[in-house]
Amino acid sequence: MTTTRRTLLAGSAAIVAGSIIEAPAVAAAKAVPTTGDPIDPIAHLLRRATFGATPQSLAEARKLGAAKWLDRQLQPATIDDAACDRLLRRLPQAHAAPAAVRAALPKHSYDGFRQLGQAIIARAAWSERQLFETVAGFWANHLHIAAPSSGVWDTRGDFDAQVIRKHTFGRFADMLKDAARHPAMLTYLDQRSSTKAHPNENYARELMELHTVGLVYDESDVQDAARLLTGMTVSKAGNYVYDASKHATGPVDILGFRHANPAADGETAALAFLDHLARHPRTAELLARKLCVRFVADVPPAALVTRLAKIYLDNGTAIVPVLRALFTSPEFAASAGQKVRTPFEDLVAAVRVLGLQPDKDATLGLSALHDILVAAGNAPLRWAPPNGFPDVAAAWASPSAFLMRCNLHLNLAAGWYPKQLTRPADLLTSLVPAMPATYGGLVDALATRLVGTRLPAAHTAAVLSVAGKLPTSAVDKNVAGHAPYLIALVLDSPSFQLR
Amino acid sequence: MKTEPCCPELSRRTVLGAALTGLAGAALSTRMAFAAEGPAYTGDTLVVISLRGGFDGLSAIAPIGDAAYYQARPAIGVPKNLVIGGDGTFGLHPALAPVLPLWTSGKLAAVHAVGQPNPTRSHFAAMEAMENAAPGTSLRSGWLDRMLGLTGATAPLAGVSLGHAMPARLMLGGADDVAMTGIDDFTLAGDGKRPIAAALRAMYADAPATLSAPARSADRALTATNKIKASGYAAAAEYPGTELGAALRDVARLIKSKAGLVTAAVDCGDWDMHEGLGTAVKGQRMFDNLTDLAQALAAFATDLGDGLATVTVLTISEFGRRVQENASRGADHGHGNAMLLLGGGIRGGKVYANWPGLSPGALVAGDLAATTDYRSVIGEILQKRCGFGALDGVFPGVRPSTFGLAAAR
Repeated sequence: MTTTRRTLLAGSAAIVAGSIIEAPAVAAAKAVPTTGDPIDPIAHLLRRATFGATPQSLAEARKLGAAKWLDRQLQPATIDDAACDRLLRRLPQAHAAPAAVRAALPKHSYDGFRQLGQAIIARAAWSERQLFETVAGFWANHLHIAAPSSGVWDTRGDFDAQVIRKHTFGRFADMLKDAARHPAMLTYLDQRSSTKAHPNENYARELMELHTVGLVYDESDVQDAARLLTGMTVSKAGNYVYDASKHATGPVDILGFRHANPAADGETAALAFLDHLARHPRTAELLARKLCVRFVADVPPAALVTRLAKIYLDNGTAIVPVLRALFTSPEFAASAGQKVRTPFEDLVAAVRVLGLQPDKDATLGLSALHDILVAAGNAPLRWAPPNGFPDVAAAWASPSAFLMRCNLHLNLAAGWYPKQLTRPADLLTSLVPAMPATYGGLVDALATRLVGTRLPAAHTAAVLSVAGKLPTSAVDKNVAGHAPYLIALVLDSPSFQLR
Repeated sequence: MKTEPCCPELSRRTVLGAALTGLAGAALSTRMAFAAEGPAYTGDTLVVISLRGGFDGLSAIAPIGDAAYYQARPAIGVPKNLVIGGDGTFGLHPALAPVLPLWTSGKLAAVHAVGQPNPTRSHFAAMEAMENAAPGTSLRSGWLDRMLGLTGATAPLAGVSLGHAMPARLMLGGADDVAMTGIDDFTLAGDGKRPIAAALRAMYADAPATLSAPARSADRALTATNKIKASGYAAAAEYPGTELGAALRDVARLIKSKAGLVTAAVDCGDWDMHEGLGTAVKGQRMFDNLTDLAQALAAFATDLGDGLATVTVLTISEFGRRVQENASRGADHGHGNAMLLLGGGIRGGKVYANWPGLSPGALVAGDLAATTDYRSVIGEILQKRCGFGALDGVFPGVRPSTFGLAAAR
């Protein structure tokens, strides 16, 4: 059977109209009622390049203009982030050096993982360096090391600090080489148990399949790469060490990388191989595609992928020129509405837009946010396999996940849970300082503040139905009691789900 | 979200695929995407328990007649005098005592020396392969999703995975399944006092399919679970206070409420025993895990009573354990495993196997040789108990086993 877009649209229009009748396809093509207003390019940029717009971030971006806002975000050191830094001091193990973790925690403790997960949520919610945090999250998911996972209890936080965050706006080649010399990666992918006599192929395989070129290698590439990488291991003390006695010498030929590999000390050859992989055209394409899936669309525009891959190679694997080109591309501008928020992004965006702040002096609120994400299957770093969380809408399209979003919105709006977060003294007044005369006006104001645009008229009516009001109803003394439900319903709207 | 049928020839997969090319670009409603109510599914309810971490079939169904077993496992081999059932070649681990009556009455069976094609020792790769179950094809769905899709079942709770908010990867794909931590946790906050569900229904009626599909599934499932909750439920058995106990209790509740359950997926983790798998006594990891598993299965069978006649439960695991025990009274990753089958149609009290033996020459890289593809075992169940003819839609290229391990309906 053949399904044309026209028949789909026509069918859909019939249902929009409320009955099964033939409806003109033209009318249907306009019926994209996720928002009530045209797309605002600044709002679109902030939905993608941050974890959710706030009135402050929108005002700043509008004042600077998109290009200057982007420039500023691409230089995070110039952005004051003292409040977030102070908050992170409450999570001392999150990014501690391995020796410090070992000194502070019992062996195989999960406390470091938990603090790291909370630190990632805290930064997403409250750092001013929002683009840096979104891109750091991208890299952490790309060079994914699941946490908790056995063996990296003392090194996972250090990997985040010294590999991911250190190179987030740097060069991928440097990040890849530092990852290959970090005990967390060598442990997670079994490289530490690889020896001359029995090379372990796990890291070699994932290095090519997941981190760089993708599925273009063959088994001989894996075997040669595994041999070449022998010697890169972890000391008894738990640190990276090159152990020449474990290195398998002899020539290798891997995806265009040929090396005699004659020396017992093969580290230089291994690093040259990693450089080769980082600069491989297939790697450029894979990274460009993944960045587009993250920031543009689930099915990315091919021309943009090609352009970004070339920029990546022309700039010696530097990431900033690629990001600048991506966010200023016409494809990006045209992609509004084409990405859906993950449960993590939905939670963080709700916290940000409601103006919820960290606990006064503890981390109980953060801990509760972390627990919510564990239940939702989207807590930072908790994806078990090494391929990282999926970043397409279909992967998160679960009925339970939908209910959890809605329940969470109401809990946050009503202040029921988590109780420890610091809330505006009067949430409704903080969101809508001047009360409109009608309930319709109130929902318009809430939606403009919370999702950036008014809702379509039918959605506004739906939101008001929970209060038994019409858009024309005059605001009355019951408005405070209705407010949490109206706020939650606006956050439940399809518009808020869009990234 | 009314459910009037429209365009029954459209599959949800087609619509989702179209929608993904541009969420805002196409105003697609999923309401149209669901087929009209098809003929009711009349096969067994299939309950799949995934034993995560690499289940040690060589402990659960111990090859007590094989001397090489005791040579390879001097510390952790299950002694002949402790097994509680079996046939002299195989013996049931003593911790399986709660299900011994089911074994004796012929409702519980095991299949041994089972494995996957293209075996790997990586948990993640092996699990992916086990749940996808279509190596060498471009299929990226889970096999339970494919099974559910082929039954044409459209009830709101036809496919359910219990224990997690995210769907089991076994159910990854286009069929309409529901993941829930538990029936009582599947709620919409505040809806008791205010018509929140109705407001959501109105807001998502015209949303793009990627957004409206989960909203609509949630809405249908909420209506169905609210009905189940309202009818009250007292289990006819006492379940253990474990995640598996809670999940199987909810599976029984769904079956007994006649909610149209076709298949349920349940995870049961923590079988990765490199250390302290231990001897066959209480307090050791394998003993205690098997006790939990057996208690939950026994309660499930008791709770269902006569209803077990149209239910088949089976266990799968991504791989087994190495034959040789290691220095930590554990066993490393290996292959060649045992599956458990429970149900009214199972020809139980028996271990089915093309047993290759455990002599060093018979092992494959230190592992029990897998002589039976786990998919062919499930294939026999699909044909005999679930009404499937060919298996290609679920397990491409696989033939069903000919053990005769289930009675044809």
